[in-house]
Amino acid sequence: MEITESVGVAASGEYLTFTLGSEEYGLDILKVQEIRGYDAVTKIANSPPFIKGVINLRGVIVPIVDLRIKFNLGEPSYDQFTVVIILNIGKRVVGIVVDGVSDVIHLNSENLRPAPEFGSVLDTRYILGLGTVDERMIIVVDIERLMTSQEMSLVDAAAV
Amino acid sequence: MSIDMSQFYQVFFEETSEHLANMESLLLDLDVENPSLEDLNAIFRAAHSIKGGSGTFGFTDMTEVTHVLETLLDRLRKEELRLRAEMVDAFLAAGDVLRAQLEHHQGGPEADEAQIREVCERLNQLASGEAPAAAPAGGMQRQARTVYLSCALPAEVVAEGGTLDNLLAALAEIAALEIRHRPDAADPTLSAVLTTLYGDAEIRDTLSFHVAADAVVLSENEVEETAYGLFDEAPAGDPGYGLFDEAPAAADPGYGLFAEEPAAATGGDPGYGLFADEVPAAQAEAPQAIREETDASGAYGLFEDAAGKPEFPAHRKVAPGDAPAAIEGQGYGLFVNAPGGVGLFDGAPGLPATQAAAGAAPASVAPQVPAQSPGRRVTDNPAVETAKAGRRDSDKVMTVANTDTSIRVSVEKVDQLINLVGELVITQAMLAEAANAFDPVTAEKLLAGIDLLSRNTRDLQESVMSIRMLPMSMVFSRFPRVVRDLAGKLNKQVEMKTIGDNTELDKGLIEKITDPMTHLVRNSLDHGIETPEKRVAAGKNPKGTLTLKASHQGGNVVIEVIDDGGGLNREKILAKAKEKAIPGVHDGMSDHEVWQLIFAPGFSTADQVTDVSGRGVGMDVVKRNIEGLGGKVELESSPGYGTRTIIRLPLTLAILDGMSVGVGGETFIVPLTAIVESLQPALADIRTMGGDSRMVHIRGEYLPFVSLAEVFGLNGVQDITQGIVMVIEGEEGKAALFVDELLGQHQVVIKSLEANYRRVPGISGATIMGDGSVAMILDVSAVTRMGLGNPQRTRPAPVEGQMAA
Repeated sequence: MEITESVGVAASGEYLTFTLGSEEYGLDILKVQEIRGYDAVTKIANSPPFIKGVINLRGVIVPIVDLRIKFNLGEPSYDQFTVVIILNIGKRVVGIVVDGVSDVIHLNSENLRPAPEFGSVLDTRYILGLGTVDERMIIVVDIERLMTSQEMSLVDAAAV
Repeated sequence: MSIDMSQFYQVFFEETSEHLANMESLLLDLDVENPSLEDLNAIFRAAHSIKGGSGTFGFTDMTEVTHVLETLLDRLRKEELRLRAEMVDAFLAAGDVLRAQLEHHQGGPEADEAQIREVCERLNQLASGEAPAAAPAGGMQRQARTVYLSCALPAEVVAEGGTLDNLLAALAEIAALEIRHRPDAADPTLSAVLTTLYGDAEIRDTLSFHVAADAVVLSENEVEETAYGLFDEAPAGDPGYGLFDEAPAAADPGYGLFAEEPAAATGGDPGYGLFADEVPAAQAEAPQAIREETDASGAYGLFEDAAGKPEFPAHRKVAPGDAPAAIEGQGYGLFVNAPGGVGLFDGAPGLPATQAAAGAAPASVAPQVPAQSPGRRVTDNPAVETAKAGRRDSDKVMTVANTDTSIRVSVEKVDQLINLVGELVITQAMLAEAANAFDPVTAEKLLAGIDLLSRNTRDLQESVMSIRMLPMSMVFSRFPRVVRDLAGKLNKQVEMKTIGDNTELDKGLIEKITDPMTHLVRNSLDHGIETPEKRVAAGKNPKGTLTLKASHQGGNVVIEVIDDGGGLNREKILAKAKEKAIPGVHDGMSDHEVWQLIFAPGFSTADQVTDVSGRGVGMDVVKRNIEGLGGKVELESSPGYGTRTIIRLPLTLAILDGMSVGVGGETFIVPLTAIVESLQPALADIRTMGGDSRMVHIRGEYLPFVSLAEVFGLNGVQDITQGIVMVIEGEEGKAALFVDELLGQHQVVIKSLEANYRRVPGISGATIMGDGSVAMILDVSAVTRMGLGNPQRTRPAPVEGQMAA
C-alpha cells in the first residue's frame, strides 16, 4: 500500500543508475550533486566500517559511505575507477561509494513495479520499486529515506 | 507568492528591530533638558519608518502604537511641547511594546494587550500636554504637595496687569494658589504657596512663557527672606538678567563632561563641583548671586530636576575624598581648571552672544557657589550617566556614514565566501608546492606569478574574514538600557562607561557573548555597586561606575566588566563554600583560588534572593558559556575598590589555535588552550593502579594516562618511550594524553562535522589542513572521559544487523 503510493509519486522521472557488484540500482537524479573519484578519506574514530570517513569537498566536510560494504555487494576496492556519488539530501551532503555509474534513464509507472516483500539486506522500505529497461532490472532506492535512516548512523539518533 | 511575502517580512523585521534599537539608543542619549532637534528628528524618523513598514505589511497593531508615538514626537520636534523625563520613559515603554508586537509577528508570544493600551494612553496624555491623571506604570503615584514658589517676573509682565492675571489664573488651574507676594513695580517677585498634584516641571511649564524654567524657584520648604532681599538687588532691567534665560541652554552640550569633573576640581570643597555645569550661567552676575544666597539657606536643590521625578533623590552630597573617583581615565580632569570653560562650548547654541553681554560678569563667582544643587543632567537621568558627551558627535557622524554605505547581506553568503576563499588558499598552497619542482630559471615568470598569487590570496582571506567581524559596540550598546532600568529598580546610582567600542569580534562570538555579559553586568549592579548611602559612608562617590572595556591582546579579545563597588568578600565566600562543602576549601587559599569558588554551580553569597540575581545560577553558567566559546574567565577583586571580571576570547569562533598530533597515521588537532605541557615519558614514570589503569608521574602529580590510540581504536605507537605525553586540562581535570608524535602548531579553521554527519564522541569538529586533507579536532574533556571509563562502553553499539524497527 505504502509502496504503491510512493511508486506512484516517484513513477515518472530521471534516475541515475549505478552498480553494486552485479546488481543495478537507480536513484532520483535530482538528489545527485556531483559524481567524483575516490580521494583519501579521513577516518572517523569508532564508526561502523561502511562509513569510510570524511572528505573535504571544497571546504565542506562530507561523510563517505561505502554501500558495497553496507550491503555486502561486490569487492570494496579503491582505485581510480571507484566512483563517489555526492548526494544532496535535505540540507545534508553525503557521498556514497559505488562500483560504477551506468547511465541516466527515464522510468514511468509502466516499467516500474513494486518490489516483492522478502527479507533482504536492503529493507523493502527503502525500495521504491523495480524498474525494467531493456531487460535490465533496476532497483530504485529511496535514497533519502535510506541515508537518513537509523541504520546508516549518518545522523544523530535524536535528529531522526 | 507566500514565500515572496515572507521574504519581505524578514526585511521588515530586520529593519524594524534596527530602528527600534536605534530609537532606544537615541532616547537613552537624549538630554531631557535640552534635547537636540536632530535627535528628536532621528527618533521621529525611526518611528515613522516603523509605522510606514508596518502599515505596508498590514501589521495594524504596530501602526497604531507608532502613530500615537509619532504624534507626541511630532509635537516635540515642532517644539510645541517640552520634553520631559516621563516622556522618555513612555517612549522606551512604547519601544518595548513595539518589540513585543514585532516578536509576535515573527511567531513569538502575543504582546500584552493591556500594556499596549496603557502605553498608548500614556502617550496620548503626554501628547495632549497633560500629565497622566492616573498613576503611570511605574507606580509614580502623585500626591498633593505643597510647593513654595518664588520667581522674579520680567518688568513688562508686572507692568501689564492682564498678563499677570493670566499667569496667575494659569497657575491656579494646576494648583491651589495662595499668593504671598503679588509682584509690583517695586518688587517684581512673585511669591506663592501652591498645593498641587503636579510636579515642578509642570509648574515651570506654566510659567515658562514669561520666566525661564531655571529662574523659577520651587522648594518644599519656605524660601527664606534673605533670598528675597537679594532679589531686590537684581532688578528686572539688569543687563545680566536677560542672559539668564539663555545661559543654561548654553551650558547644555557640555554637561556630560562637567558632570564628571566636579569633585576633582575641588577635592576638599564638597559640593562645588556639581555646580560646574552652571558655570557659564555664572557670567550673569545678578542671578548667580540669587542662587548663591538661596542655596546658602540650606535649601532644596533650587535648580533641581525640572523633570520632576520624585523618586530620585534630588539632593546629593558629595563627600570629600571623592576626587579620585571622579577623575576618569577618560581625561575629564582636563577641564578641571577651566570652570569658565568657554572654549569648550564653542558649539553651544546661544553662547557667543551671552558671552559678549556678560563680559563684565566675574567668572570667579562660580567657585564660591555652595552647590547643593546637583547639575541638572545628573538628576534628570539619575540612573545612567553614559559618559558619552565628548564622543557623541563623532559617533553620530560615523553612524550616518555607516547607514549610507552598507548593504545587507545574509550570513550564509558571507560564510560561503569564506569557505571559497579557504579553498582558494588550499589550492594556492598546492600550486606553490607543485611549482617548487620547476627550475627557478626557466619558470621564473610562473614562480613570480605564484608568489603574487599567494600574497593576493592572503590579503583576500584577511579582508573576507573581516566581513564577519563586528565592533563590540554591538554588545555594549544594549547595556545602557539594562543599567538604567536595573539601577532604578535597585535604587542605585550607576554610571556606565564603555572603552574600546570599536574592538572587532566575530559575529558568532558577538551573539554568544551578550548573555554572559548581561549576567556579569547584573551581578555588578546587584552585588557589586553599593547603595548611595553605603558608598557615601565608605567615602566614595555615591554614583557607582560600571566600565565595559574591550581590547585586543595578541590573538585574543579581552572584555572586562569593571565595577567600583564593594569587591568580593573573601570571608563570606569561604564561609559559604564550607557550608556547601565544596571540596578543597581551607582558610589558606589564595585570593585567586577563593574567587574561583564563585564559579561553582549554585554558589551565591547574596544575602537575599532578588529577581535580579542571587539565586546562585549564573557565574557557573557564565563560565561554561565562555569556555564553550574557547575563552577563559578571570576575576580580580579588591575589597572596597571593586571587582574586575576579565573574559578572554579567541578572535573568532571559526579559527582555533591548535597543536596537530599524529596517532596511527591519522592527524588530530588538540586545542592549544587545553595543553599544559608536552614531554617524553620515561618508563619509570608510568605506574599502574588496579592492574589496568595507568598513571603518569609528572612533577609530583599522578595523572591518569589516556592513550588516544586506544580511545579511537587506532594502531598507535606501543612503546611508551617512543611517544609523547601531553598534559591536558579539561573539565575532567588534568590528564596525560599519549600520542605518537607532535606535528606542529597551526591556526585551523573549524568546520562542523555535524552539518553533514553526526556528533562523534571525543571529536568537537573537523578542519582542513594545508594539503586539503581533513583532520579531526579533539574534544579534550570527552577524550579524557572516554579514556578513563571503559573504552568499550563509549563505543557506539555495533550497527550492523540492527534493523531499524
